[in-house]
Amino acid sequence: MWPLIRGTLSGIVGYMVGALIATLTTTSTFSGEFALVLGFVFGLLGWLFGIGMWNAWGREWVGLTPKTEKAEGWRRYLRFNTDHKVIGAQYLVTMLIVFLLAGLVAMAMRAELASPGQNLFTADVYNKVMSMHGILMIAVAVAGILGAFGNYLVPLMIGADDMAFPRINALGYWMVPPVAIALLAAPLVGSFDAGWTAYPPLSVLNGDGQVLFNVAVIAFGLSSILGGLNIVATVITMRAPGMTWSKLPIFVWAAFAASILSLTVTQFFAASLIMILLDRIAGTTWFGAPGGGTALLYEHVFWFYSHPAVYIMVLPGMGVILEIISHFSRKPLFAYKAVVVSFLSIAGIGSVVWAHHMFTSGMAQNLEGPFMALTEAVSIPTGVIFLAAVGTLWRGKLWFQTPLLLAFFWIFQFLIGGITGVFLADFVTDLSLHDTYFVVAHFHYTIVGGSIFALMAGTFYWFPKVTGRMYNEKLGKIFATWFFVFFQLTFIPLFWVGLNGMNRRVATYQDNLGGVNRFASMMAMIMGLSFVLFVVNLLWSAKFGPVAPANPWNARTLEWQVSSPPPEHNFPSPPSVDGGPYDYGVVGAPTHLREVADPVG
Amino acid sequence: MKKDIVNATLLWIVLSILGWILVLNWNIFPPALAREARIVDDAFNLLTVLAVPVFTFVVAILIYAAFRFRSPGGLEDGPPIQDTGRILTAWLVVTIALAGGILINPGFVGMSEVRGEGGADVVIGVTGQRWSWTISYPNGVDVTSYTGELVLPVDQRIQFDITSLDPDVIHSFWIPAFRIKKDAVPGRITQMFITPTETGTFAEDPNVRVQCAELCGQGHAQMSMKVRVVEQAEFDAYLDEILAEGG
Amino acid sequence: MTTSAEPIQHGAGPSRQRRINQLGLWLFFASETFLFGAFISSRFITSQTSTPEDLNQALALALTIVLLLSSISAYLAETANAHDDHRGFRIYTVATITLGALFLGGVALEWKEALEYFPPGTIYGTAFFSLVGLHAFHVLTGLIALAVILFLGKEGRFGSKDSWPVEGVIKYWHFVDLAWVIIYPTLYLF
Repeated sequence: MWPLIRGTLSGIVGYMVGALIATLTTTSTFSGEFALVLGFVFGLLGWLFGIGMWNAWGREWVGLTPKTEKAEGWRRYLRFNTDHKVIGAQYLVTMLIVFLLAGLVAMAMRAELASPGQNLFTADVYNKVMSMHGILMIAVAVAGILGAFGNYLVPLMIGADDMAFPRINALGYWMVPPVAIALLAAPLVGSFDAGWTAYPPLSVLNGDGQVLFNVAVIAFGLSSILGGLNIVATVITMRAPGMTWSKLPIFVWAAFAASILSLTVTQFFAASLIMILLDRIAGTTWFGAPGGGTALLYEHVFWFYSHPAVYIMVLPGMGVILEIISHFSRKPLFAYKAVVVSFLSIAGIGSVVWAHHMFTSGMAQNLEGPFMALTEAVSIPTGVIFLAAVGTLWRGKLWFQTPLLLAFFWIFQFLIGGITGVFLADFVTDLSLHDTYFVVAHFHYTIVGGSIFALMAGTFYWFPKVTGRMYNEKLGKIFATWFFVFFQLTFIPLFWVGLNGMNRRVATYQDNLGGVNRFASMMAMIMGLSFVLFVVNLLWSAKFGPVAPANPWNARTLEWQVSSPPPEHNFPSPPSVDGGPYDYGVVGAPTHLREVADPVG
Repeated sequence: MKKDIVNATLLWIVLSILGWILVLNWNIFPPALAREARIVDDAFNLLTVLAVPVFTFVVAILIYAAFRFRSPGGLEDGPPIQDTGRILTAWLVVTIALAGGILINPGFVGMSEVRGEGGADVVIGVTGQRWSWTISYPNGVDVTSYTGELVLPVDQRIQFDITSLDPDVIHSFWIPAFRIKKDAVPGRITQMFITPTETGTFAEDPNVRVQCAELCGQGHAQMSMKVRVVEQAEFDAYLDEILAEGG
Repeated sequence: MTTSAEPIQHGAGPSRQRRINQLGLWLFFASETFLFGAFISSRFITSQTSTPEDLNQALALALTIVLLLSSISAYLAETANAHDDHRGFRIYTVATITLGALFLGGVALEWKEALEYFPPGTIYGTAFFSLVGLHAFHVLTGLIALAVILFLGKEGRFGSKDSWPVEGVIKYWHFVDLAWVIIYPTLYLF
């Protein structure tokens, strides 16, 4: 616990120092906007150094020898630990907690929307609650799979002993708690009510809480950039002998493609949020029309990140699902190379489609056609992912455990998300559907379907590896089915209300939509309840579940060839790789893990 | 092997036919009071009809696989894959054709239809501000959403010159019964063309209203205005009336 | 960058770590390029290529030259360190820091003038202060990093046997200079 206390204390001191500097050097008050910014920056640094970065790293910069603080058991997780497996587990638990929290916020939203008038919240409070739900869930989707499984599994799957930059990895994780705290503390200074998209001029004119949103999300972006950098560098440089590019497990490819995106385009989100801060605090006029700026600039810069961000969320999800499908169908992954090309082209094309979010924005008309064409082009590589999924399932020997069940559900939901996406890519239909509940339903299918269901599937699939114990299969299947069924019942009706005149981000709506909304709200509550099963299953099984063997799924990839949980440096001695990761049923195929090299050599 | 393909294909066809029957018979849209609304609804329907077989193809395989290809234990391996290249090529050809097809129609065809041609019969100014709309009629009279309604003549091509107060925030001018919307951006004038084809009022259907569609703060949900589409003569009378009221 | 089919051996020595570090640094530069790219493209979106008449062209040119000279001295410092010339390393690093500080001083002077002619509330001022500020912040971090390697290297700790910290910092300094080489025409020459 000591590092946490130390980090908290130095974080508070850092905050005070930053806010004080701002108060003394400018006209900002101690709780003013500039004080919030400087306070957060210094507080973040204080927290990071306090939690262990000073001992593990900072001492080197002043010529001292770094100190490693050893700990055993659960205490390993509460400190600056550079073991990628610890960091993966830290991300997984943190993101699941944030997910459950943001889910509770969603339940509150559905309670408000259960009837047309104002019930639970004022319109003002609703906007703040909605914005909170949005940004927390975005964070979970961005860092859930990539942070948890990316960190835990990429080194294991490629036969490395750790990530390329273990300390940067730990730094990236420990930036997350202050981000969550700043977002959750924003209501103390007026909260933020501009949605997670934070469009100016609204986000320039609203309450001080917006400033905390901006600095927190910029910090989160930095964490995401560092995480992406680490995964890219790890995959390029840390592969075991024999682990050629064409033998990489598909999840590693997916994480690699998503990491390239998060390494690069995230900077545009940071830039757009910095511009808002400059407009608010430094008096610039990027988005202020009176000074000659334009709000459309924000939409371009913001969506240049935030559309590819969808692929940062979904690509790792695709990787997890294809991984599970191959192992549980006992068949080689269908069209492996085409899938790899598709991942990379989704990342590539996905970076140049952003303005389809702006068909109604009044941007230059000659941009509309090209962006529609590029957007629809993304459906081609995405289609290959579906082909690979069903092609692998076809005539496989399907072992219906919870992960495979969730993978089936994933395919179904992401299919609906993808198909409804075409309606939003089409110029004409988008003019009608843009900013309506159709979009809300669509992106919940895409992101819950594409990312959260994969996060759940992965959690069950790798649970034995991480905890060394088996989860309860029956409870897992009941949870998966429950979540899936009530997800459909919640969100299918929302497509309809979107078509029938209900726009996004409203606390009240027209009376004629009351019945359908009440139905959706009730279904949402029941869906929310399914997570009691999820939590109970995982917590109980982690403590009392039957002990897991090294390879309960009889899978070929490297992470299953070491003990559950894996030893501290992953492999007893450097591994080397022979056959492919998915050569199930291939006559005469050598094992994926050839041999652990002579420990002495 | 052959039997599986035949069965799954049958399942696909049955599901597709069921899907088409459903799609061709549903009426999920609110009243369409404008030329543009029909273009949007037609495009939506066309996309849905094309989406049905894509959706049912994947679903048919999922259902078939879930029932036919079960195997307990995870020990037995599946058969080796054959013909990856040919299936992949066929799949790519079909998906590229589909994507290309919808890009042309409803994509570009719809785009040029909905934009329409030529000038406007009536020009109406729209200004958004937190949290109301101000309508500037051609006779120079302004009406706000606090007190008035938006009255439009039927069968006339109407040009909306849309903007937001400066400084204010982005709003979006949307009439669900007409389907299409356009943002009101501070410091800019955006244009939207609509040709109402049927008369109608908010009292008849709540979709005959102006609704702000871009989050603009606490009054966002209530930033709406009743719309009334009337015959030309009635529209002229309305203009005289608001002028006489001393606008 | 290793993209060959045959991956690197495990447990190899410091040369492998050095390659990993180099790759990491280049990835970081790629990421930073996007940050600068966002601001540079925004400058063109909001104010196209217009520049006010009151720009102090002479000062900007002088600053550019100072920064370019600092790149040369940084290069010399790196080379000296690689050849275990500790004295040369110290002299050239001090020169680089001095030139960098001179640059920051010039920026301060420039800002003082700019506040009069095109304050942040104007559209050119917005781009000017944002971009120059973003770059100056990078120069500042570069100066701190240079100061750290100067301080750590005073006993001749780096040299050819442990040249990576010096190499990394100097590469970063070059990157910051390169960013200015793009920002300078963006703000002054169009």
